[in-house]
Amino acid sequence: MSAGVLGVEGLEVGRGAFRLRASFAAPLEGITVVFGPSGAGKSMLLSAVAGLAKLSAGRVEMGGRMLEDAGAKVRVAAHARDIGMVFQDARLFPHLTVRGNLAFALKRRPADRDGPAIGEIVERLEIADVLERPVRNLSGGEKSRVALARSLIAAPKLLLLDEPFAALDGKRRRSFLAMLRAESAARGLPMMVVTHQIEDAAHLADYIIAVRDGDVVAQGHAAEVMSRPTFTELLDARDQGARIDAGAVAGSAEPGMRGVWVKADSVLLASEEPRGLSARNVWVGRVGTVDREADGSALVTLETNVGYISSRITPEAVAELKLEVGRAAWAVVKTHAL
Amino acid sequence: MLSADEWRILGTSLGVAGRAVVFSLPVAIAFAWALSRPRLPGKSLIDAVAHLPLVLPPVLVGFLLLMAFGRRGPVGSWLYDTFGVQLAFSAEGAALATAVMSFPLMVRAIRLSFEAAEPGLFEAAAMLRAGPWDRFVSMVLPLAGPGVAAGAVTAFAAGLGEFGAVITFASNVPGKTQTLPLAIYAALQVPGGEALALRLAAISMTAAIVGLAAAEALQRWSRARLEG
Repeated sequence: MSAGVLGVEGLEVGRGAFRLRASFAAPLEGITVVFGPSGAGKSMLLSAVAGLAKLSAGRVEMGGRMLEDAGAKVRVAAHARDIGMVFQDARLFPHLTVRGNLAFALKRRPADRDGPAIGEIVERLEIADVLERPVRNLSGGEKSRVALARSLIAAPKLLLLDEPFAALDGKRRRSFLAMLRAESAARGLPMMVVTHQIEDAAHLADYIIAVRDGDVVAQGHAAEVMSRPTFTELLDARDQGARIDAGAVAGSAEPGMRGVWVKADSVLLASEEPRGLSARNVWVGRVGTVDREADGSALVTLETNVGYISSRITPEAVAELKLEVGRAAWAVVKTHAL
Repeated sequence: MLSADEWRILGTSLGVAGRAVVFSLPVAIAFAWALSRPRLPGKSLIDAVAHLPLVLPPVLVGFLLLMAFGRRGPVGSWLYDTFGVQLAFSAEGAALATAVMSFPLMVRAIRLSFEAAEPGLFEAAAMLRAGPWDRFVSMVLPLAGPGVAAGAVTAFAAGLGEFGAVITFASNVPGKTQTLPLAIYAALQVPGGEALALRLAAISMTAAIVGLAAAEALQRWSRARLEG
């Protein structure tokens, strides 16, 4: 295992009857998303890497440093792993103010570690107004941002995030994700983010680890993995779709956004080049596959120069547009659907 | 309002109960912490030892202390030979007897506040590089602080009224070991001492009620804090 990689080999960890097994090598740069349905074992995987859950077998290495080797009975305690974690429920310390929580992290940061000052982080994450407040008086969004600020101040070598944005809705959620991308880039801080939302995964992931029923079913660079059948099998029918690089999308891409997930339900198909449309995203391609879905609809996949795009339409439309494999077709997506 | 004698008796009581709390607090914190761990070998034995004074007759506790800490007892003779300290029949002895008797109350209150603290908070502290001892000092104790204080105050209030173990181990020496209940007992042995006994009883009850009210207030504060 080379430096610059979080290496997990033959990991096994369990709680009750549930067992998680994982082997992967994730780059220690950018954002790695751990994706999967609820109950797949994503949080447990993070706990095992963090050292909060003990391995029953396997090894965890980070940047060439052995953190745990169940066979050799080597185990670095959670507090000594140089890994930070932002929990889903924030876990702010109730006996301290917001400032007290941030100072807790600063006080324990190694003296020779380069890390952000409290003032700087508070400014960037927009929590200056709540600095002197007790943590119980914060809103959900403020709690998530304070928890993120606290972990950033600690300046770990890897930051794990267990869906800390799960409770946030629409706009606040997108702005939190934008903050994650900005902080990861600004500090060169590798992050490992758990989510079960396909849109979040597309927005954040450079690298992706897909988990189902306690097993890693796919891993690799997001652009490549997210189009594999083993990955799309994890998705509900409503979430079926394709990932497109953020750079290829007009209008809605935010700073640092890696990709967007184009749901098959929001893609229109045309058999001729459409004209006079309000839609900003029109891609031409060739029909790759036409599959009949369980619900009677047809899933048509187009190979375009921005990658695969799939569209769910009726079998009647397939016949009417004569969408046979190999022929040219245009995919149309509204900006607001991205 | 109070006579010189009454002030002296109250002073002895406060002194004995106060010292008893100081002696037992660190031990009670250690016991409470051990008992609040979900997986601890020998937990039921530790639990039984901590609760023993609650079920033993106080006179028996005093007698056992006398056997161990008396001048000829194994610990008492060592203390006397090494430090020249004699516990039996002294104010410190009265405090020791009181400490043993109020120990279960203190452990119980402290343990409850340790158990009420959310374990996830300690995981969060660990992920900010706080080691086990750091977490105990900077998280466990501050979070449980009001609960620890409530335990101490309850033990103090109970200590003011300890009788059997104190009179057996430390005897009834005015100005040294004669606490409120012992003075009431002594007053009742004297013909016409009922008036004095009644006044002492009133003082004793006032002190106990103030103590209980303080403990209750601390418990409420503790819960509010932990529920954050």
